[in-house]
Amino acid sequence: MAKKTTTAGLRRANDPPLLILTSLAEGPKHGYALAQDIAEFAGVQLSPGALYGAIARLEERGLIEALPEVDRRRPYQVTAAGSAELSAAMREMRRVVDVGTHRLGLLQGRLA
Amino acid sequence: MGRNVEHSDGLKWYPRAWRGRYGDDFVMYLHDRYGDGPVPLAARLSVIRSGTAERLRSGGIIGRSVDPDTRIRGASLLVLCAWGFFVIAGSVFAKYTEHWPLATPQGDHWLPAAAMGAVQWAAGAGSFIVVVAGVLTLPALFGLIRSDGWKTMWALVRPMVLSLTVAGMASIGIVVWNEHVGPSPSGTTPLALRAAGVVVGLLVVSALAVCCATTVAIAYRLRLTRRVTRILGRLAMAMAGVLVVIFAGTLTWWIATALHAPWFFGSLVPRSPSSPAPLVMILLGLMMLSGLVVAGVGTARIAGTRSHSDRTQTMTRYR
Repeated sequence: MAKKTTTAGLRRANDPPLLILTSLAEGPKHGYALAQDIAEFAGVQLSPGALYGAIARLEERGLIEALPEVDRRRPYQVTAAGSAELSAAMREMRRVVDVGTHRLGLLQGRLA
Repeated sequence: MGRNVEHSDGLKWYPRAWRGRYGDDFVMYLHDRYGDGPVPLAARLSVIRSGTAERLRSGGIIGRSVDPDTRIRGASLLVLCAWGFFVIAGSVFAKYTEHWPLATPQGDHWLPAAAMGAVQWAAGAGSFIVVVAGVLTLPALFGLIRSDGWKTMWALVRPMVLSLTVAGMASIGIVVWNEHVGPSPSGTTPLALRAAGVVVGLLVVSALAVCCATTVAIAYRLRLTRRVTRILGRLAMAMAGVLVVIFAGTLTWWIATALHAPWFFGSLVPRSPSSPAPLVMILLGLMMLSGLVVAGVGTARIAGTRSHSDRTQTMTRYR
C-alpha cells in the first residue's frame, strides 16, 4: 500500500521536518534552540546531521527561511508555504487520531 | 569565542556550497550542544552520514534538489565508475583466462569461445563509448582550462598523474624482474616476486580509483550544454548494456569451463579434480556484480530524470 504523504514528505509524527516546522510554528529559533524545544515537546533527540539535513531540505523547498545571524547563530522561521504544509500534515494526523480514538472507544466498550 | 577544531572538522564531510551556507551555524550548534567537550561517536557518525548524503545530493546522485542536467551528469558518472570496476575486474579476468583454450577439449570450445568473444566485443564497445564521451566533453574541458588556468587544472590532475606514473613504473619494474628471474625449474614463482605482484596490483587498482575520482571532480566543473549532457546520458545507458554483456559473457564462460574443463581452475592437468569456483573468479564475479549494481542505479536515475524532465517540458509546451 502506498504511503500517504503531504508534498513535503511529512509522514510520521517523529519526522525531523515535521518536528522542526512544529517547533518553528511557535516563533523563530536557531539550531540549538530548535533541538532543545523538539526534545522537550516530542522527546526526540535529533542528531546534528539529521537536524541540519532537515533544515537544508525545508529551506530548499521554501518551507522555512533563515533570518539575519544573531551572534553567529542563524535563526529560522516558517514561511507561508511551510505553514500551509504543516497545516495539511496536522489535518492528516488529526484524521488518523480521530479514527483511532473512535475505534479505541468502541474496542474498550466491547472489552468492558 | 574560539572555534573547537573537532567541531569544524566535521564540516569537511559536506560539500563546499553547503559549508558556505550552513557551516558557521552548524559549528555554533555543535558548540552550543557539546561545549568544548568531545562530540559523541553517534553524533560524529550522523555528521558523516549527513555530509555524505549532501555530497551525493549536490552531485545529483540522490534526491531532486539539483537540476535535471546535474542529475543526469551525476548518474552518468556513476556508470563511468562502474566501468572502472569492470576495467579492473576485466584486466584480471583477461590475464587469468589467457590459456583457457589449451585446457578445454576441442569439442567443448564453442560456448566458452562465444562467451569470451562477447566479452571482448563488449569491452571494445565500452572503450569506444568512453572515447566518444571524452571527445564530446573536450570543448568544455578546453573552456575550463581557459577560464580556470593550467595551475588549477594541474592541482586537480596531479594526484592522477603521480599515481599513474608510480603504477606504470612499478608495472614495468615487475615485468623486467620477472624476465630477469626467468622460469624456475620447479615451475613456481619466487615468493618475493609474488608479493611484489600483489603490491603492483594494488598500486594499479589505486591508480584507477584516483583516475576515476579525478574524472568525477573535473566532470562536475565542466560547463556542458544540455544537448551534450543528454548524449552523455544516452552513452551511459549504452555503457550499462555493455556491462551486462560483459557480466553475462564472463558468467557463461565460467559455467561452461566449470562444466567442461574444471581442471583449468586447478592444476591444469586434464581430468584432475579441482574446485569449479576458485577465489579469483568469485572475487571477480562480486566485483562485476557491484559494478553492475552501481551502473543499474545510475541508469535508473538517468531514465527517471529524462522521463520526468520530458514530461515537464511537454506540459510547459502545451500550457
